Amino acid sequence: MRSYVPVLLLILVAIALPVVIWGISRIVRPHIPSASKYSTYECGIKTTLEAREKFSVRYYLVAVMFLVFDVETVFLMPWAIQMKELAIFGLIEMGIFLFLLLFGYGYIWSKGALTWE
Amino acid sequence: MNAAPVTMTLLQTCVMAVLQAICVVLFVFIIVPLTIYAERKVLGFAQDRLGATRIAGHRVGLTGWLNRGMWRMGKVPFLSYWRGLPMLVGDIAKLFLKEDIVPTKADRAIFLVAPALSLIASVVVFAAVSFYPGALFTFPKIVPIIGGLPFNGCITDMNVGLLFILGIASVGVYGIVLGAWASNSKYPLLGGLRSGAQIVSYEVPLTLSLLAPVVLTGTLNFNKMTLALATEMPLYAVPILFVSFFVYFTCGFAETNRMPFDMPEAENELVAGFHTEYSGMRFGFFYLAEYINMVVVTAIASAFFLGGPYLAPFGLHRYIMHVPFLGAPNGLWFVAKMILLLFTFIWVRGTIPRYRYDQVMAVAWKYLIPFTLILVLLAAMVRYAAPALPVA
Repeated sequence: MRSYVPVLLLILVAIALPVVIWGISRIVRPHIPSASKYSTYECGIKTTLEAREKFSVRYYLVAVMFLVFDVETVFLMPWAIQMKELAIFGLIEMGIFLFLLLFGYGYIWSKGALTWE
Repeated sequence: MNAAPVTMTLLQTCVMAVLQAICVVLFVFIIVPLTIYAERKVLGFAQDRLGATRIAGHRVGLTGWLNRGMWRMGKVPFLSYWRGLPMLVGDIAKLFLKEDIVPTKADRAIFLVAPALSLIASVVVFAAVSFYPGALFTFPKIVPIIGGLPFNGCITDMNVGLLFILGIASVGVYGIVLGAWASNSKYPLLGGLRSGAQIVSYEVPLTLSLLAPVVLTGTLNFNKMTLALATEMPLYAVPILFVSFFVYFTCGFAETNRMPFDMPEAENELVAGFHTEYSGMRFGFFYLAEYINMVVVTAIASAFFLGGPYLAPFGLHRYIMHVPFLGAPNGLWFVAKMILLLFTFIWVRGTIPRYRYDQVMAVAWKYLIPFTLILVLLAAMVRYAAPALPVA
């Protein structure tokens, strides 16, 4: 556990870094508020409509596919380290897992989820 | 090479860690401005112009002083090449002096925290990056608390180093997406969504391309991996490392939103992408985080594929292991390789035009993922075939 104390301290230093820089900047920078300065940017014209509207469902699909593949990489990590010890059992196990994954991968490809229009 | 473990009290550990953290921060804050300057200069030469030589401003004050300094530097033979360097002072001063604007419609708390989150995530990654295996130097006995203790080349030599790096590095995307969402404006939202989807997509092939070295070495410890990859690879593992280096580096470009994949910042479509509403130092945090991420990507590429502190790349180091000076590990090789790769980042930016968004996503999902899976499979075959490989 002792070896993670330096990590904690680096995190503290890293948190202090933006706080200190921003603090210095706060002392030296000007503060001249005006209504138009604080309005939302829209190429100089008057802001119309809300920003948070419907957006493409593809972003959602990407997130779901990422979850699947990220779990896969997490599952591959311990196998990669313990490969020699797991020997042929691990190879078969991983083969089954990868077959199922690639089957799903082929399915989403054929459904056009990977093609961005 | 690895000295016997030195027992340290908690106080000594803390003092040492803070010193190392300060060293890392200094290293980052030296190499990042130099990269920004090099980017201006190299892009300038790539486009057949001089690059940065002067700044806009008045004849008096800071700008006048900097411009006069740069003009004088231009008259001296060697210094004329570094003529634009004082410009960095103007750059940093500008970031500090600009007003910090928070739009009234923005979610104030998230808007304020998001850039800092990006910066923090990119700095914390260095906890597991090892610049040199073992001690760089030993403190003399007269130093108060830490006298006689070694100053190590890495902050902590943890067993799950690579996993730590991948995990913390992916926190940076939260800063981008949260900042974009909190801006409550159309362009940042679109830019942030694009950026998030792109970073998330390229994370899979990035992790898989690093899995090939993990399979070959059987460990996640940064130092052990670097050593094993440099000195214990059979010759037929070299092509696999070579190819996974290129896949990793390509994904690194996409992860840091660099030129051929800089969708989030496609100026002609999205103004400035996710940081459109940001100004002053807060924009500076995003800017810094992007460049620190570049440094992290080059550090990992240089350690695992180009040999890191060992001179020869792609596991060829064992042929020169017993050469007197070149065979020994040296932190300078590591930094030199990082600088070479940082130059490649800029070089590619000056050479390759931007892709379309659908092409970017297709490269990740349709080509790189199956390709890297095949690479991992090949690496596994090498591991099974070679009994001489280390079981860590």
